Amino acid sequence: MQLVVNILVLASIYALIACGYVLIYRVSRVLNLAHGELMMLGAYLVLATASLFDQHPALALAAAVFLSLVSGGLVYVFLMRKMTGEMVLAAILTTVALGIFIKGMVVLIWSAQQQYPAQALGVSNPSLSIGVASISLWSAALVGVTASTYASLFVFLRFGRWGMRMRAAGQNPLLAAQRGINLHGIYALAWCLSTLTGACAGILMALDSGFTVNMPVIGLKAFPAALVGGLDSLGGALLGALIVASAEVLLIYYVDPLLSDVVPFLVLIAMLIVRPWGLFGTREELDRV
Amino acid sequence: MTMLRVETIEVVYKRVITAVQGVTLAVGERQIVALLGTNGAGKTTTLRAISGFLGLDDARITEGSITFNGHRLDNRPPHQIAARGLTLVPEREKVFPNLTVAENLMAPVPHGGGDQRRQAERVYHFFPRLAELRNRVGGLLSGGERQMLAIASALMCRPKVLLIDELSLGLAPIVVDDLKRRLVAIRDELGISILLVEQSAAVALEIADYAYVMENGRVVFDGDRSRLAGHKDVQEFYLGGTGSARRSYRDVKQYRRSRRWYG
Ligand SMILES: Nc1ncnc2c1ncn2[C@@H]1O[C@H](COP(=O)(O)OP(=O)(O)OP(=O)(O)O)[C@@H](O)[C@H]1O
Ligand SMILES: [Mg+2]
Repeated sequence: MQLVVNILVLASIYALIACGYVLIYRVSRVLNLAHGELMMLGAYLVLATASLFDQHPALALAAAVFLSLVSGGLVYVFLMRKMTGEMVLAAILTTVALGIFIKGMVVLIWSAQQQYPAQALGVSNPSLSIGVASISLWSAALVGVTASTYASLFVFLRFGRWGMRMRAAGQNPLLAAQRGINLHGIYALAWCLSTLTGACAGILMALDSGFTVNMPVIGLKAFPAALVGGLDSLGGALLGALIVASAEVLLIYYVDPLLSDVVPFLVLIAMLIVRPWGLFGTREELDRV
Repeated sequence: MTMLRVETIEVVYKRVITAVQGVTLAVGERQIVALLGTNGAGKTTTLRAISGFLGLDDARITEGSITFNGHRLDNRPPHQIAARGLTLVPEREKVFPNLTVAENLMAPVPHGGGDQRRQAERVYHFFPRLAELRNRVGGLLSGGERQMLAIASALMCRPKVLLIDELSLGLAPIVVDDLKRRLVAIRDELGISILLVEQSAAVALEIADYAYVMENGRVVFDGDRSRLAGHKDVQEFYLGGTGSARRSYRDVKQYRRSRRWYG
């Protein structure tokens, strides 16, 4: 029973992070390799806002979430915007550089030690019991946030006017631009949403068990989840997260805890051999690669 | 009254290939204007120059100007041009393949705002077939249905000028006849202008008020329907003149293609 809960929590973490990769890839075919770092930035922003809004943890959290959204927009406007229409490879390398930059900056500002934003906010993390299993408050919150994020993204992309435009821009940017859709607006929106969801994952994980500058590794581990699902499919990312998380939790439990960091990539390699375009992803034309 | 005016523009691809040179054309209110010419004449390039599609191909308008109701449009980004009321139906990849017909109609941003659902009903009225296919994704439509959807979704932008590249390409003659009638109805009922690129002069001549013929990146002839129909060269090359008078393909080939390389 506890295993099921553990799988659920880990899958939620991966799914919440993975949807960020999917959102950006889907509209602009860019892999955001700084996603893990942007996620970590969210956690550090909580440290910053916690000292600002001393007595109001809810306000501090809201401010951190909002700032994450803004930083996603800023990344697009000041960095990725110039990359539109350039080679995708150049854009991906830019995100790598951005990741290294963010990591360097947070070490400069906050040093590399372990941080506990929950303490800084003065909130506790009680353990809740469901039957025989138990789950910490913030992990439960994470599962809830993931579920509602996916539900709202689904509704937004399926029925929302701007969601439709986002899908349209992902399929044919030229035509979308000609139909009056402002591509820069769409891309900026994708970056905002992606950073927002990533930062939510980072913040909730940090509240649960603290974090260090090595947090982006988790972002990287969520990447196989997105890829297994096919990178441009949200449903795929959800299923991919579940597969990767199950494999990881079960192998840790029955084989060796040290496997934790390799399992997602083993799943990824197995997947790439069998179905390179993922479970649900669009099979790319060869000339696009 | 002239709405869209293209004034002696020159378009250069990748800094070296001049595809269009000194092209001047005008589209008036409620006019259907045809742009004719053989392959590689520069028709698509001209439409792309008007609709702002050149930047993505590393091309620029190096000379001349494009004005629409007094606003300069040359070298502007595509969505700004669309926002002025010029909408392109491109030669290829003209619909969003993974969006349903209904979604293809709802995604465009209307020029000047307005109720999109009402507009969609009007558009379905021009193309009843699309209403039946509402929930089919764009990628599964036939060529003719796709052309209808492309025109329909362009109309959702509420354009003042509709730019259509290769209306009849790959379509059965009966479908083309049908589309022509609908275009005239669209012009009459919505009061918009249409700039139409065509390979086949016969198609364009039936509905166009005015026509331009391009060759090697230049406009070599322009005039209204009757002048065009009476023009000797046009008859020979585009309408397929009478038997013996028709020149051989070799003679046509001496009209050299428009690719010109500069240092
Ligand atoms: N992206 C590009 N890069 C370089 N040259 C190009 C590009 N696109 C078109 N050209 C050249 O510009 C010239 C005009 O091409 P354009 O596509 O405008 O012709 P067209 O009249 O539309 O022909 P068709 O009837 O075959 O569609 C051609 O010689 C073509 O080779
Ligand atoms: Mg063409």
